[in-house]
Amino acid sequence: MTWLAVPRDWLATFGEIVKFAGRVVGDVLRLRVLRFFGEALRQAGVLILSSTLVIWGLIFFIGLTVGIEAAYFNRSVGSPAYAGVFAAWADLRELIPYAFGYMMAAKVGTGIVAELGSMRISDEIDALEVMGISSIVFLCATRLAAAWLVLPFMYLAGIGAGFFASYLAVVQQIGEVSSGGYFLTFWMFQNPTDLLYSVIKGMTMATAIVLVGCYYGYNAGGGPVGVGTATAKSMVLNIVLVHLIGMIGTQLFWGANPRAPIGG
Amino acid sequence: MVRNVADRAFLPAKSLLEEVGDMMILTGKTLVSALRPPYPYGGEFVGQFLFALKLCWFPLVVSTIAFGYGAPGLQAANFLVLFGALDRLGGFFVLASIREFAPTVTAIVLAGVAGTAITADLGARKIREELDALQVLGVDPVKNLVVPRFLALMLVTGLFNIYALIFGVFGGVIATLVNGSSLGPFWATFFNNASVTDLWGSVLKTTIFGAIIAIVCCYKGMTASGGAEGVGRAVNQSVVIAFLGIFAFNYIFTQTLLATHPEILNLR
Repeated sequence: MTWLAVPRDWLATFGEIVKFAGRVVGDVLRLRVLRFFGEALRQAGVLILSSTLVIWGLIFFIGLTVGIEAAYFNRSVGSPAYAGVFAAWADLRELIPYAFGYMMAAKVGTGIVAELGSMRISDEIDALEVMGISSIVFLCATRLAAAWLVLPFMYLAGIGAGFFASYLAVVQQIGEVSSGGYFLTFWMFQNPTDLLYSVIKGMTMATAIVLVGCYYGYNAGGGPVGVGTATAKSMVLNIVLVHLIGMIGTQLFWGANPRAPIGG
Repeated sequence: MVRNVADRAFLPAKSLLEEVGDMMILTGKTLVSALRPPYPYGGEFVGQFLFALKLCWFPLVVSTIAFGYGAPGLQAANFLVLFGALDRLGGFFVLASIREFAPTVTAIVLAGVAGTAITADLGARKIREELDALQVLGVDPVKNLVVPRFLALMLVTGLFNIYALIFGVFGGVIATLVNGSSLGPFWATFFNNASVTDLWGSVLKTTIFGAIIAIVCCYKGMTASGGAEGVGRAVNQSVVIAFLGIFAFNYIFTQTLLATHPEILNLR
């Protein structure tokens, strides 16, 4: 039964990750993390200073691409004035959460693995335990708390970056619809509930990425090579998770109800 | 005082520009030594090709089906059902799958899975001083390590694009079936709108994505320093730079392709 060994391995690792994630989430929700609130704030600062700009940058590029696809697609169906419909749906509902997830996985997820992994192999985590500090709370729960503190705001501003980029591409670059006409359909085809669903999607991805990063970093082993392979492995799982969460979110939030201001 | 401020503002930009310049130099060196005989990199090329293939096929299947079913499948089907025109989903999938998301998802998976593995591998060799040892032995690291990875990733990314395309369209098929419609109209509008220009544009785009990923990841791996933390940091930076490069290039390529080939835009 050798062909069963690989999927069995995956299942075992997945179970381990869920167990670990449950512990970290429990530590945050039971407010044990407040004992190290200063550390959580420091992690929040690190997140803001080092990751914000690249995340917004990627969302901006994707917003530009959505914009030109929207303009050209709507020209091809003979309704260039309605490019805002395509941009509103594609940006808010799908591509901004995906862009956010990709860059979170690349920048924050692998960053956590690299940091915690090198702490693990230089025995710093064991040293924490010896000093009587619970290492999971101090290292992992503080990072999750920092992510929950910072990321909703970063995500909302990222939506702004994506919208701005689509506006630039559709109205300023291609220029087949006036600014007013674009915004009329653009705002008509979204409402605050859609925004809330989009934020939920993005935050679920972010939580999964931070937890996966903490797991692979906390359990790294095998010297410098081990840290590198743990980083690479976490990226594989993160990409699959981002896509699955994106799909399930779409099915849950918009699958049964298109939430469009047309038809009856 | 002025000098201080100028230093603070421009030193990060300067190191960024230097890094981009170094990557360009590495690209040039790789191209030259790929073409100039002798060609000792055949075995390594096959090895890297199979390595990327083995590592990426499963994440790619899951990712493209999920993306194809969720983003263009469900959302566009929702929209078209309101007008009673679900058969148009096939035509939309030519735009969505072939032109945009199959190439980008392929590049994301290849950069995240194969690219990180390459950086981790080369970075570990660098900090164990194996790369220096190779040079002492008279073996050129660019010719024997970078060139095979560069060629293998270009080929494998281009081929994986076809594979991603098929599974992306499969996501659209599932979305059609979920909406309780038959598949005949889907395929009819799909093949009416599909054009050869779209296909070669897609394959060319992903091949260049592969080249970007290979150069960024090899460069970051070969310049890793500072022990275990250094390798981790190198992997982190390589993915970030590769993602930004991929999407910046994607914007320019899509714009150029759409502007120079207006005939692919007609929705039939």
